Parts: sequence; structure tokens; C-alpha cells
Amino acid sequence: MSSVDLRYFPFSAVYGVDDAKRALQCLLVSPSLRTVLIRGGQGSGKTLIARSITKISGKKVINIPVNVSEEQLFGGMDLDETIKQGKPVVQPGLLSKADGQLVYVDDVNLMDQKILMTLLNSVIDGRVVLEREGVSAEYTTDVKLIATMNPKDTDISPHVLDRFDLCAYITPPENDEEKAEVLRRNMDFQKDPYAFSIHYMEDDEEVRSNIERAKTLLPLVTVTDDLIEVSVELAVKVMADGMRGDITLINTAVSMAALNGRDEVMKKDIEEAAMLCLAHRRNYAQEPPPEQPPENQNDTEDQPDEPPPQDDRNDDERSDEEPPEDQDDTDDQQEPPDNDFQQLLDEMVFEIGEQFRVVDYLSDRHRRISKTSAKKGRRMMVESSDATGRYARPRIPSEKTSDIAFDATVRAAAPYQRSREHSGLAINIQKQDVREKVREMRAGCTILFLVDASGSLGVRKRMTAVKGAVLSMLKDSYVKRDRIGMMAFRRDSAELVLPPTRSVEYSYRKLEEMPTGGKTPLAEALVTVNEYMTAYSRSHEGEMCYIVLITDGRANVPLKEGANANEEVISLAERMAIPQVKWIVIDASAGFIRFDNANRLAEALEGTYFRLEDLNADRLAESVRAAINR
Amino acid sequence: MDKLIFPFVSIVGQDDMKKALLLNMVDPSIGGALIKGEKGTAKSTTVRSLSQILPYRTVVDGCVFNCDPSKPENMCPYCSERLSKGEELKSRQVQMRVVELPLSATEDRVAGTLDIEHVLKTGEKKFEPGVLAQANGNLLYVDEVNLLDDHIVDLLLDSAAMGVNYIEREGVSFSHPSRFILVGTMNPEEGELRPQLLDRFGLSVDVKGDKDTELRMEVVKRRIAFDTDPAGYTKKCQAETDAMRQKITDARENLPKVEAGDGIIKAIVTITTNFEIDGHRADITMLKAAKANAALDGRIEVTKDDIRAVASLVLSHRMRRRPFEEAAFDTEELEKCLQSI
Repeated sequence: MSSVDLRYFPFSAVYGVDDAKRALQCLLVSPSLRTVLIRGGQGSGKTLIARSITKISGKKVINIPVNVSEEQLFGGMDLDETIKQGKPVVQPGLLSKADGQLVYVDDVNLMDQKILMTLLNSVIDGRVVLEREGVSAEYTTDVKLIATMNPKDTDISPHVLDRFDLCAYITPPENDEEKAEVLRRNMDFQKDPYAFSIHYMEDDEEVRSNIERAKTLLPLVTVTDDLIEVSVELAVKVMADGMRGDITLINTAVSMAALNGRDEVMKKDIEEAAMLCLAHRRNYAQEPPPEQPPENQNDTEDQPDEPPPQDDRNDDERSDEEPPEDQDDTDDQQEPPDNDFQQLLDEMVFEIGEQFRVVDYLSDRHRRISKTSAKKGRRMMVESSDATGRYARPRIPSEKTSDIAFDATVRAAAPYQRSREHSGLAINIQKQDVREKVREMRAGCTILFLVDASGSLGVRKRMTAVKGAVLSMLKDSYVKRDRIGMMAFRRDSAELVLPPTRSVEYSYRKLEEMPTGGKTPLAEALVTVNEYMTAYSRSHEGEMCYIVLITDGRANVPLKEGANANEEVISLAERMAIPQVKWIVIDASAGFIRFDNANRLAEALEGTYFRLEDLNADRLAESVRAAINR
Repeated sequence: MDKLIFPFVSIVGQDDMKKALLLNMVDPSIGGALIKGEKGTAKSTTVRSLSQILPYRTVVDGCVFNCDPSKPENMCPYCSERLSKGEELKSRQVQMRVVELPLSATEDRVAGTLDIEHVLKTGEKKFEPGVLAQANGNLLYVDEVNLLDDHIVDLLLDSAAMGVNYIEREGVSFSHPSRFILVGTMNPEEGELRPQLLDRFGLSVDVKGDKDTELRMEVVKRRIAFDTDPAGYTKKCQAETDAMRQKITDARENLPKVEAGDGIIKAIVTITTNFEIDGHRADITMLKAAKANAALDGRIEVTKDDIRAVASLVLSHRMRRRPFEEAAFDTEELEKCLQSI
């Protein structure tokens, strides 16, 4: 064990993040597991635990900044050497320097999707392929990736998510006692990091040697066919797409067994592994919709969204819910009879679902609202930078250009410097070296439909119209590369039904089932969309976004109990300032009694206002197109 | 040492995907394959594992573009020059490769670069070959093809269409053969492919994950076995792998002998008319694919079964789609067409 390193918090001292700890230990044990994602709210300790892994692995944790460039990450041309040697010389990127170590990405959901995808694939394949700007290389690198993200920001697409072998959720502490313990430990660390680290050193050392033991044991661990069957059934049951879930589930269970000093996988291992391997691969789109209470049931107080009290799942919680006749076969080693097996599946599926719900509904409203005001003024800035466009990449110009990409030009000229006459110039640049800048002035934009799905008059028709409009706009905006998404609000929450996408097929699947009914939580919808789009526009810089709000504007679920719902909505709307976002409000109040709620809302949002007497797909699509002038 | 890839012959299920790839290896002029599907369905694994079973071919010894000695009309400038000087081109056998195009590839590395200064000074063309040069005669694999930058896609399209890569800079031009089997994989949830590119792919496959427990268990077991001992596992599959490569090599040799009768031609035309498919590309591709299928089977006559086997691969991405319609290939319709002949 090296001397005390005070830069990192001791691994064992991080309190209340057991899933994340398990995931990280498995990552270190199994060579087949390469990537871990830790999801948790701000200040939940996800960064702390991710960084503290250095204490139990003896490896360096190399930080990859979210805004890393492809060159920095994967490698590019070494300018000095290229000029000196007269031939392209590769400068290794972060990934090659990190060979044999761990890499860490904070806020991974804000990373450019293409770079993230390439990063994940490189880590999984252990290989980086470079074909850029005069440099062609391929090298192997053995790294493992730990990433963290806050699920309240934009989520990463399921496709990318699937490439994370394990995903641990950090749930907020359940009671004040736990909170207090976290605080105490932090105070202790601040006060005397040295003593604190010494105190936990032994624990860390134990974890570390346990991992070493597990590595030796790993090849000897066996898993029975029955348990493989359980795993596969489980993956099918949660509708995990593809095979990655099944395979990592077994690999993780094997690592868990090894960590527990066993050479045989037990049911318990599969259970624990399932939490880490399947929850993030769960496909809601394909699942049968949950049973809906009848439409007229206007209850908003006690929805089943509140998760039932969570048992410690290491306990044998089956005894709580199971009929007594199954009590006798709880032994793990026994071959599970079908009935028991089914039971196990049901419970595990339920648990995964529950955990998901806990995370999805993490609610701290105070923070949510305060976020709204912070971003004022940024809107203009983004627009002006959009007019010129962002320098995305260099290109060989097809005709004369004035927009020279200096960096790329020098790189292109570099290999020839030895052979060229310099006549007093430091670098001799020839015509053919010149590269121009490709600026990204995105022709595409994002349109998010925010639809009132509450049980008011004509809601079915409204939903059908919106669905039709989404699909038809996607079809014809396809060439323009617009993204279209949809969020629906009803009861007491707003739900992202369709994350902004370009795919018609995908939207079709996602929009197939749209529950309606309940009250109108307009304020909640504004809060949710504000949060979602703020993060979204941050990760899609320069892209214009439109939120099309379809509502009659009559809110009846206030955020604060007892407040006037409508006034609350207006005041929220006035404070709304999402960068790069414009609002379009479509008044869906039908019938002869006119309300000016929607109009007032549009004014407060500084948006365009429409009233559609007869809401159908074509008219809706047409109006939106007219409003955004495309 | 290169990391071992899971053996092709050991991949469970995914027969359509395998078929589409095998047909292309038998007849590269089919025009490649697009593999669409959910995540985690062994798309990339399958394509990469092709390197184990790709057949050998003859190339000009020492040529960076891997020119084909039997086709002097399609040779690179260097080989053409040597030929015109009366030099004899030595040939050698190499195994076809899977060349990967990374998403982050830049234009100059894809097309290659021309050193104009060198040309002006010496009159000799000096060309730094790119991915399109490496790909000549090989299989070019683009993962996440729908995320590729548009201008790179254009380069691929041009080469794929002409079989030649042209580089034009400052009035100096250079060209070299670039014929390759284009294989793309994509997840449609991430966005769709430009229609021009879609039509370029000879075959397309929609890959779905299997929900069958037995099959999935088999997948997991094999994968775990491979991960535990990659070298041993690969060795165990070696005989089967070699047999598969031999089968492809034989099929390639047999292909010119495969005949399609008039009935088959009629059947193909009837099918494409019935499915309302524009243009002739579908007809031609279907005939080629059917022939390749027969050759793979060791036959020299195309039968209706060959058409049954390849029709959905050829047609599914070429069918016109209306909004609100899921694109599904109608096998009953196909059967009706076949029966009517």
C-alpha cells in the first residue's frame, strides 16, 4: 500500500452508495466488464465514489473532460515531430496514455454523442482506430471507463446506455440519520484528512485485497444452467433489447460470487447483479401499458407513483408477500421449482421497476424552480453564435475559401516541411494544404410537443392529432434533419413520451400507447419541460428549439398546495428563459365558452399564439410549420 | 497480438444477417449489406468475425491498392504504368480483410491525399492512400453508418457507384480502383439513413433480438465460454471456420456456372412489379443474390427457393413506405407471386 493519498476520499468511507460500490468492485474483478455508469442527483456522492476507486484499485483515474475533442481523446498529429521527421507522426490521445488505468467522465450525458459512442466502443474493444487529418493508426489500449451523470439532465439514448455494462443508481438517503452520517464523515475528512484517511486505510486495504483474491478465484467460478436460465428469463421479462444484458448479468454474478469468496454463483448473486445490469436496459416502449384506472377518476392525491416502502433487498423479503406454502424452499442452492422461479422473477422485475421509479421521481421542487431564473440573457448569445456557426471540423475546400481552418492547414503541411524550401518562413504552406472550416449552422431544429393529456373534452382527438402531426412532420422534415419529440402531462406529472428523435419508426412505436385522463398539472409540466430543455439545449448547442404547448391553459393542480394554479402557471411562465427555445402555444379550448388562459400564457412565455377550432393532424402540422417559418 | 474475435460459426441464430453477408462474399457485385437492428444483437460482432471466413484472392504483389492482376482495365496508375512498360506483374494470394471506417474519419484520410508539390517538381504523382485504397477488394465496414458525416457518405457513395476513387486537386488528378463490399450497421432509433445511401445497399436486414430462452441461454453460454478462454474456444471452432471459408471459396468458383431460367427471371420481375418497386436495381440485385444463394448451396440452377431465401433481403428497404405504416415484408404476397408463375 502506497503512502496516504489525501486527494481522494477513502472508498470505504463513502456512505450509502452500496450499489455503486458493488458495481465498481465487479468492474475491477472481471476482465469482461469494462464500463460502469453511476446515476445520481447532484451532491449524491457519485463523483466521490468514482474517484475513490483509485484507493482500492491501485490504478490511476484519468479524467476525461466532457468537452474533450476527438484529437485529445483518440489521438492526432504530433505537429513538432511531423515537421522534424517529414512524415506524419501520431500523437497519442488520452485513451492511449491511460492504457492499463481507469478513465472517468463526469456528466457523461452532456458529452457529444458521437464522441461518447466512439469512446465506449474503443473501451469495450480495447482498440482505437484513427483515420483523421493525415494520421492513420490503430492501437490497443486496456482501460476501463467509469462515468457519472445526473438523470435529471438530458438522458443518453438507450442505444448508448446499453454499452454501459453496469449501471448503479444512487438513491437519496432514506432518513435523516443516514444524511447525518454522510455529513459527519465529510466534516471529519475536512477537519483532518490525514487522520481520516488513516482511519479508513485498513478497510480500503481489505477491499483491495479482496478484489485481488476474487480475481484469482474468478476463473474457477461456475454457474449452473438453471441460474443462466433465470437470468435469461429475467432479461426477457424486463424487455431488455439485445443480448448484452444477459451476458453482463452472468459476468457480474460471477464476479459477485468471486468477491464473496465462493466458486459457485448463487441466486443472490444473480439478484444483485440484475439490479446493476438490467435496470438501465429496460425497454418501456415494448412493455404492455400499466393498467389505467378509469378515466373519470380524478384523483391526484394518492397515485401509485409513490413507491411502496423499499425493503432491504439483501434480506429474504419474499416472506412478506409470498403465500406460506412456498416458505419451505428458500434455500439458494436448491433447484428452484417453477413456481418459486416465477415468483423470483416477478419480485425481481418489480424491484427493478421500483428502483427505476425511485430515480425517475426524485423530486426536490425547490431546486427545480430556482434553476429557471439563472439562465436569462443567454438566449441572445446563442442566437448570434448560431448565425456564424460553430467550427465543427476542417475540410478540403472545393473552391477558393476565405474561412481557413488554420490548425488543420498547418497539420496538412507538416509532413512536407523537410522537403520544402523555407526561404525564411517557419512553415511553408502550399495551396493544397489549405483546409477550410466546416461550420455547423444546423439546418435542423428540435420541436417538442408539450401536450395536455388530462381528461378534458376532446382529449382523445387531441392526442390523435398530435400523434399524426408528429409523424407527418417527421416524415417531411426528414431531409432537413429536424428532431421531434413529445411530452404529455396529466394527473400530477409530465412525462417524456418521445425523446426528440429523427426516426419515424421509433416515434411510431413510442406513440402507440398514450394514456390520457386526470387533472391538468400545467405548472408541473412547465417545470419539467424547463428542466429537460435547458439540459437539452446545452448539449445541442446552436440548435434552435421550439416547444409547442397544446392546452386550454386551465391548470388545476398547483405545485404548492393551496396556491392558485393558474396564477402559479403565469408566474412560472414569466420566469421561463430556456436558452435557444421559442414557444408556440396552441389553444385547444373547444366550444363556445372562450377562456383567455392560453392566450395569457402565450404572452407570459413571449411565444406565438394560435387557436385551432378544429384540431387535426394536418392543420396542426401546418400551423407549427408556419410559426417556425420553415 | 490482435484481440480475438468471437467465431462467426459460433454465433447463434441471426440467419438473415449471416445470409446477407455470405451472399455478398460470394458475389461482391450484389452491392453490400445494411444491417439495421436493436442494440446488442451481435451486429458488429458478426461483421468483424467475417475476417475469419473471408476467402483468399489474387492481388498484384507490392501494390498498395491491391490491384487485381486479372483486370488490367481497373488498375491503379502505378500498375498500369508497369504494365505499359511491359513489366510482368507478380501476383500473390491474400485473404480479404474487414476494413473499418471509424466515425471520426476525416475526408483526407478516407479519400487519400495527393502531394501536388511533388507532382509539379518531379512530374511524378505522389499519393498517400486512404481508407478507400485499403478497402479495394476488401470489405468496408461502417458501424453506425447513419451517424456518419454527410460529406464522408458522399465520398463512399461515389466510390461505391463507380468502383473508382477520384482525387482532384488544383488541376492534378489521381484515381485508383476502389471496389469493396460495403457493410453498414445502424440502430434506427438513432435516426434514419439518407434515401440515396439506403438504395446503394444491395441487401438489407432487420435484426431482432431473440426472446426464446433456449437460444438466449445458448448465446450467453457460448459468450462466457469464449470470454474465459478466447484462444481455446477459437481453436475448437477452427475446423468449422475453415469449412465455412472453403464453402465460400467453392461458391465463388461455381458462381459463373449458375444459370437462371426464364421462369426465374419472370418470377423476379413479377415480384418487383407486385411490390411496386421503382427502377431496375432491385431486379438485378435479386437475380444476383438468388444466383449466389444457389452457388452457396452447391447448385448450378436457380430455383424458386433461392428467391424465397433472398427476396426480403433485397426488397425490404426498397419498398415505398407511407406514414403510420410499419414496414413489414409480406411473405404471403411473395408466395402468391411465386405460385402464379
